[in-house]
Amino acid sequence: MVRIEFNRLRFLVIDDNAHMRRILRTLLHGFGAREVYEAEDGASGLEAFTHYVPDIIIVDWAMPIFDGLELTQMIRQPGANANPYVSIIMLTGHSEKRRVIAARDAGITEFLAKPISAKGLYERIVNVVANPRPFIKTATYFGPDRRRLLNPTYIGPERRKGGTKADVIRQAPLLDKIRTQG
Amino acid sequence: MASAKNTAAVRTFGDHEMITPENKLRKAVSKEPLPPGDDPIARAEQALSELSGEFASWMDSECNRLDAARHAVKSDGFDDVTKEALFHAAHDLKGHAATLGFPAVASAADSLCRLIELTPDVKRIPPVLVDQHVDAVRAIYREYARSDAKELAKLLTRRLREVTDEFLIGENRNRPDILEQIMGPSLVPE
Repeated sequence: MVRIEFNRLRFLVIDDNAHMRRILRTLLHGFGAREVYEAEDGASGLEAFTHYVPDIIIVDWAMPIFDGLELTQMIRQPGANANPYVSIIMLTGHSEKRRVIAARDAGITEFLAKPISAKGLYERIVNVVANPRPFIKTATYFGPDRRRLLNPTYIGPERRKGGTKADVIRQAPLLDKIRTQG
Repeated sequence: MASAKNTAAVRTFGDHEMITPENKLRKAVSKEPLPPGDDPIARAEQALSELSGEFASWMDSECNRLDAARHAVKSDGFDDVTKEALFHAAHDLKGHAATLGFPAVASAADSLCRLIELTPDVKRIPPVLVDQHVDAVRAIYREYARSDAKELAKLLTRRLREVTDEFLIGENRNRPDILEQIMGPSLVPE
């Protein structure tokens, strides 16, 4: 596995639950992080994001004032703040599929369902540091590329238009696929 | 304002741009392998274990918060504030119970979250059903030291879920997408 020097990263933990903030701080320090800042709601989280310019944000979904989803949407505004590309790990007790999709569409970088584990958190951090994804900007979305891999067996419409060879998913005609299987 | 140096490369296509930002996190990727015997995950787990002496008192306060939210609902009825407080307290317990060493509490808390979240008009939730959930969460936590605690928690939670599902199915009979969700398997292990 890639070795990460956590002491070179600045973290911002945004969670209204003081116990969870303490747990996250403990885990991050255990990994070797030195700079861990905290905020207890979406509004103070946004302020801390501007003030501390963190490398990685770990945010809870359910919070007062505005929640983790709204906060992510505010940060993912190109031109509106110092780093709209910041890595955002959403840590939440919501794990239903529709919630995961909503978080992805808001522009989070990684999703981590509670209960939290040291291994799960470590893996998400390694992923955002070692395997950054490009950002996609459309009329309705700005955030990390939601296509994590090219699926050579994908059958369906190509929703992105005007792409070159690199970003167009080749679609095998359905008839060919049936013939191949037959 | 975002500075131009944030953006290392932009490729424009018909209806979207693909942006490869400057990778500011690369500074933290080491070329050296981990020293033999150094395991950051084990270090973090050890640090968490040193904190675990406080977990029971944290669970106490989480359970007391849930109880207070239940009493607020009973005295003031369901409104946006009391509903949010009750849901949030249950949701935190669902997410934190396992980390704090009481995983069997999570399912009962999850059942209360479902009850609140999937009822179209929360004012129709029978108060006794809220009481049963809160009392179950507190009882499972209180009796955690018993040798049969996990088995009792499983039985209690299963019954809670059955009663809750029966109520939710009636309340959502005209909402097929929600009905599908209600009848699907729980994501929180018993």
